[in-house]
Amino acid sequence: MTPPKPLLNPRRLKKWGIGMLRMLALAAVLLWSIFPIALIVSMSLRAPRDILSHGSLWGFSFTFQNYQNLWKRWPDFFTNLTNSLWVALLATALTLVVSFLAGYAYSRRSSKALTASAFFMIMVRLLPPIVLTLPLFPAVNWLHLNDTKFLLVVLYCSFFVSLGVWIMKAFIDQLPRELEESASMDGAGLWQTLRRIILPLSYAGLISTAVFVMVFAWNDFLFAFIFTTVDAKTAPLVISEMVGAIDGVDWGILFAAATLQLLPILAFVWMVQKYLIAGLTAGSVKG
Amino acid sequence: MKPDRRHWLMVSPAQALLVLVLFVPALYVFWLSLTRSTYGKSPEWAGLANYATVLGDPYFWRALWNTAIVVNTIVFMEFALALGVAVLFAGWIPWRKWMIAMVLAPYAITEVVSVVIWKFMMDPYGGPITNALASLGLPPLDWSVEPSHGLALVIVLSVWHHLPFTFILLYTALLGIPRDLYEAAQVDGANAWKQFIRITIPLLVPAMLVALVFRYIFAFRIFSEVWLLTGGGPARTTEVLAVYLYRHAFRYADFGAAAATGWLMLLASLLMGAWYIHLMYKKMFRHDAS
Repeated sequence: MTPPKPLLNPRRLKKWGIGMLRMLALAAVLLWSIFPIALIVSMSLRAPRDILSHGSLWGFSFTFQNYQNLWKRWPDFFTNLTNSLWVALLATALTLVVSFLAGYAYSRRSSKALTASAFFMIMVRLLPPIVLTLPLFPAVNWLHLNDTKFLLVVLYCSFFVSLGVWIMKAFIDQLPRELEESASMDGAGLWQTLRRIILPLSYAGLISTAVFVMVFAWNDFLFAFIFTTVDAKTAPLVISEMVGAIDGVDWGILFAAATLQLLPILAFVWMVQKYLIAGLTAGSVKG
Repeated sequence: MKPDRRHWLMVSPAQALLVLVLFVPALYVFWLSLTRSTYGKSPEWAGLANYATVLGDPYFWRALWNTAIVVNTIVFMEFALALGVAVLFAGWIPWRKWMIAMVLAPYAITEVVSVVIWKFMMDPYGGPITNALASLGLPPLDWSVEPSHGLALVIVLSVWHHLPFTFILLYTALLGIPRDLYEAAQVDGANAWKQFIRITIPLLVPAMLVALVFRYIFAFRIFSEVWLLTGGGPARTTEVLAVYLYRHAFRYADFGAAAATGWLMLLASLLMGAWYIHLMYKKMFRHDAS
């Protein structure tokens, strides 16, 4: 006779317990990652008097008043957002062109000198940006580039070009060389091969590179803080000014501005999530 | 194949940017650090006097000490958390793609906004976390007055902001470990913990190294979080090296001392990165002999 089966077999109980713990851990991770962001967005839609109330986090009025106040009190904020957009787009475009060309050359050809120049490219990545603002500041003034979008574009591109080249090299390395060999047998020149064959096949690498530059350029505070004063101010800089406003922080306006700044880039990162992950892996591990 | 002129041409825009915007200025900083200079005065030779001044300044040591504590705490706390989350995500997770999107979200946020978020949540008068702490009978975090609380908030904020980076590196490496290794271990009777120690950890070492060193290098630069949260105050007690440098350069216009600080900072981060960069470089260009 077989013994009767226990109602709750300890093995299943243990499995169930572990499953519960895992779901609890997952909930904690989600709370940690997304709650602060959700809080900003939801607070921006609250009546100013309900923000920082000692009451509950949930029951509140729904209003666009903070956005109207932002429009009235900081009309320039929308110009600053446009600045951010232009700077991010142009920096991304420039980085893509430069990294694609160099990444291809590093992937397909090698010599002592080329390898040394690639090594140099990795080394300069170690320079802390704040150290470089010091010598750049007088140079920028001398060139009359202070407070221009052009300057920000060049700076952002320079700081991300080594990562871009690295990512592009890793992606182009995966493309078989036979592609180019057969193209050259058909009489295509180098530029034609690049444009017609390599470029369309390396779009994943290009998007990966674009995510990094775009996120950095859209979000940067340090360079905007040091090199812009009026015309080229970007959104993060103005948000930092709102935090430090002399007449106290107006949380409602601040949250409205933060929401407008963060939602587009968050949506972008979510859209290209796959490429972000691929780029991080290629940029550091695959090498 | 030998590179020809066209390949150098393709590489040159990237190299030109790096040389003009990063390399030459870095050399210029070095020269600046050996001179005395301020606005409207041409630099005059000072030898190592700036280094002596900086190294004799108690505020510099305070900043260095703060940086060391903050950077180490950030990197290792973040690493431990990221490893935990990566292991969790390597198992079964509902709506995986969406869950990863949630974990990645802080990556898209600017430091400025993350300072806003945490400043608000920790507001001593009615911030949600302060309220939650109070309802548990705990005192509020006095980050605007108490230096150690200020730095603690900087650490929390930084870990929150950069966890996605470390998480993704470890998570993708975890997914790359072949499943049959675990199956074989199971046949040999190894339990889950033994499998983790004997298989997961050793195979994860390269990715862990990458994550740690990258985060070390980037955490070392920490500026905005501290500047926007405490401004280095009260009474310069929460300054980190980058804030110290900024203050001397752009507030006191003491370019020599700021430049010397810059090189000391660079030296510290180079020392940390040099060995590893060497390894990575070998890995990257090993297969190029064609």
